[in-house]
Amino acid sequence: MSEARIAVPESAPAGGSSRRRLRDWLAQERVFRLIPFVLVEVVFLFVIIIPFLLMVYISFLKWRANRPFEQAFLSGFGNYEQVLTAPGFWSALGHTFYFAGCAVVLELVIGFVLAMFVSRTVRARGLYITIFLVPMMIVPVVVGYNFTMLYIDSGPINQLLAPFLEPLGIDPRIRWLSDPAAAQWAVILADVWQWTSLTFLIFLSGFSALPKQLINAARVMGATAWQIFWRVELPLLKPAIVIAVVIRSMEALKIFDPVVLLTAGGPGTSTQTIAFYLWEQVWVFNKFSFGAAASILLLIIFATLIFFGIYLLVRQSAAVAQQRAP
Amino acid sequence: MNSIRPTAPAVSVIALLFAASATLAVAPARAADDPVADRAVQLAKAYMKKNNLQTVELNMLLNSLFRNAIGDFSARWEKLTNIKVVSTPLGYTDIPSKIMAESVAKTGSFDIFNDFPYTMPDAVGAKVVIPLDKYAAVGKPDFSGIADGLKFQQYYNGHLYNFVLDGDHIILALRKDILDNPQVKKDYQAKFGKQPGCPATMDEWEQMAAYFNTKSGDTRWGIKFDKPMYGALAYRSVNFSYRHFPAYYGGLLFDKDMNPQISTPEGIEAIKKFTSIVKYMPEDVQGWGTPQIYPFWGSGQAFSVMSFPSIVGYSNSNPKSEVKGKVLSCLIPTVTWKGKQVRRAPQAAGTGYMVNAYSKHPELAYYFIQWLTSPSIGDEAIAHPKGFWDPFRKSNLTNEAILKRFGKQHVDTTMENSDYAVSLLMIEGNYEYFKILDNNLAEVMNGNMKPEEAAKKIEAGWNRVTEDIGRANQIKAWRSGVDSGMYGAKFSDM
Repeated sequence: MSEARIAVPESAPAGGSSRRRLRDWLAQERVFRLIPFVLVEVVFLFVIIIPFLLMVYISFLKWRANRPFEQAFLSGFGNYEQVLTAPGFWSALGHTFYFAGCAVVLELVIGFVLAMFVSRTVRARGLYITIFLVPMMIVPVVVGYNFTMLYIDSGPINQLLAPFLEPLGIDPRIRWLSDPAAAQWAVILADVWQWTSLTFLIFLSGFSALPKQLINAARVMGATAWQIFWRVELPLLKPAIVIAVVIRSMEALKIFDPVVLLTAGGPGTSTQTIAFYLWEQVWVFNKFSFGAAASILLLIIFATLIFFGIYLLVRQSAAVAQQRAP
Repeated sequence: MNSIRPTAPAVSVIALLFAASATLAVAPARAADDPVADRAVQLAKAYMKKNNLQTVELNMLLNSLFRNAIGDFSARWEKLTNIKVVSTPLGYTDIPSKIMAESVAKTGSFDIFNDFPYTMPDAVGAKVVIPLDKYAAVGKPDFSGIADGLKFQQYYNGHLYNFVLDGDHIILALRKDILDNPQVKKDYQAKFGKQPGCPATMDEWEQMAAYFNTKSGDTRWGIKFDKPMYGALAYRSVNFSYRHFPAYYGGLLFDKDMNPQISTPEGIEAIKKFTSIVKYMPEDVQGWGTPQIYPFWGSGQAFSVMSFPSIVGYSNSNPKSEVKGKVLSCLIPTVTWKGKQVRRAPQAAGTGYMVNAYSKHPELAYYFIQWLTSPSIGDEAIAHPKGFWDPFRKSNLTNEAILKRFGKQHVDTTMENSDYAVSLLMIEGNYEYFKILDNNLAEVMNGNMKPEEAAKKIEAGWNRVTEDIGRANQIKAWRSGVDSGMYGAKFSDM
């Protein structure tokens, strides 16, 4: 491979020689092709690597922000020990998995059903797609505020439920934001309302990409609608399902906005998720080194889970590719 | 046509009148008869002259509740001194973290921090705010007429850090129209042997709450209740319970060595009383803050409310209020402490002003604060129709504008109540202590925990925080606060 050089005029002013040499050096292909990489790495270094190393360092210090940083001192694994023995940490982690589990399952099921419905609809398809995508585009603060209004015990949600609950002898004034169990579901439902749009979008693209000839072939061979769905469409949609599960699980494990806006983690600690717990420990209680240690522990836990999710995704993709191979 | 020529005496009279009217016109721009405000202005001007400054811009991180009112005062200060005060409004829950971030970043972006007094201990610990004693020695602020429970919130470990301009000590308000109902008077007299009125004790308040609690559709005292009337209303949500709890607990939350006193018979009794009255409150009250409580009270669906004093002003000024002119302000009821009846009105919020340690002109920031909180300008702020400053100084009792805004009965009551004002915890890490209390009170209110168990958990949690911050450090601040009188009780009472 020949090296590209930029011709430099002979009459270049004196003193510009070092600049010229630099330009010549940069113009070499082996150097030039590395420039974008170096720039990205520099950004990566300053935005991720250095803050991460700083966080690791802080996690080994004894430092609350109500003392100047200059007074912080090394405390070994003291913060890690504190995190692992803090009951709030484990309860918040438990709530997070509970919320994420419930929310993601509901979002997958509802998103899937809506996508299937829309993919088979011919009239006003664009309108349905637009409507179902709107929640995802709304700022989470607005969603949270609206839900606080909807959830008040004399509010519209309870009024809508009243005709169904009263005949069953159930008190229709559900304390959505102050009963521990109801508050948990209030958070889950707000998340489901907003993020079902994303699973809907993923599944809709999955349905759109289904090979028509396979479905037609199955139909010609006498397969029923259920058999086509169960034996042809669903297996082909598995990669989309795994993508939806992985993306939504990753996001749901970080659930924060609806908790802050609807319940502030209450009543008691019943809706305290791990993101909320960390935020409170760091930004309300000023326990920066505790927060750093907890963040690193969470990184390890979540990275393991995400790694497992991605492994599933890759394995699934490979299996589908193998099935499609001639 | 005859021309009218002014004579010399007439010219003199006109000139005198003109001069007098000009003086009167200028007068409101000065702090008339207030040496504290005047001194702040003169000292600020002297500082500008000494440092050869023509104009200066100060930045204030402002509690957003005051965004609609502060501009009037900043403009006046600028006219008087050529010092512009630019305010950056932020929700009060976000201000403490911004202050603590400044302790690390050290930018000096803000010269003045405005927030609850409770933000001060952590800010002092982080050395992000400065003691104001040396400026106060020259400026000579006037804290006369301010009750100890409010005045000593300005100090930490004996040093002045904060100027408070707000009496947010909680009061009790009742529905006067219900109490004045002849049938109510008759029935109540027959049942309890006394006329209904402000309850003397917390027990009596709960008794009244039970008596007046009325279901939707009931007809009582000749009144048909289309909506329910809850016997009581108060703050019981996370981030608010801790502000009210001291009203139920007459003593000190810690002994002189910072050992928690919550898991004692008095502490457990306070938890029981605090949680017991919830059954007469709206079902959803544990999820409510001010945006829910104020309108609910205004809708006339509660007989009594324990709240910030501004709820009375809200009742009378909100156009949608159904309780306008129907509210009776009461002193906070008493609780029993070691066999004695004591009255504790916690300063549940309040607003104060501190100076950033990294400010370029801390002295000028101080002068603005002294001027704003001075007796005359402070009174004007309290009377400001768009402000949220509540009466807190004895001079408020005779200030016409304040009386007009809040009503004489309310001002009289809230000022008497201020004599019983007590501070919440003014020690480092207080927000963590508060949260531990709130979380466990919520567990009791939800029936998940017995008061005794909650008290033990609160005790363990508080000890954990004390150890984490440093017991010696906490003891010093706690003892200093108790000795000042800001908590009402003294160690000798225990």
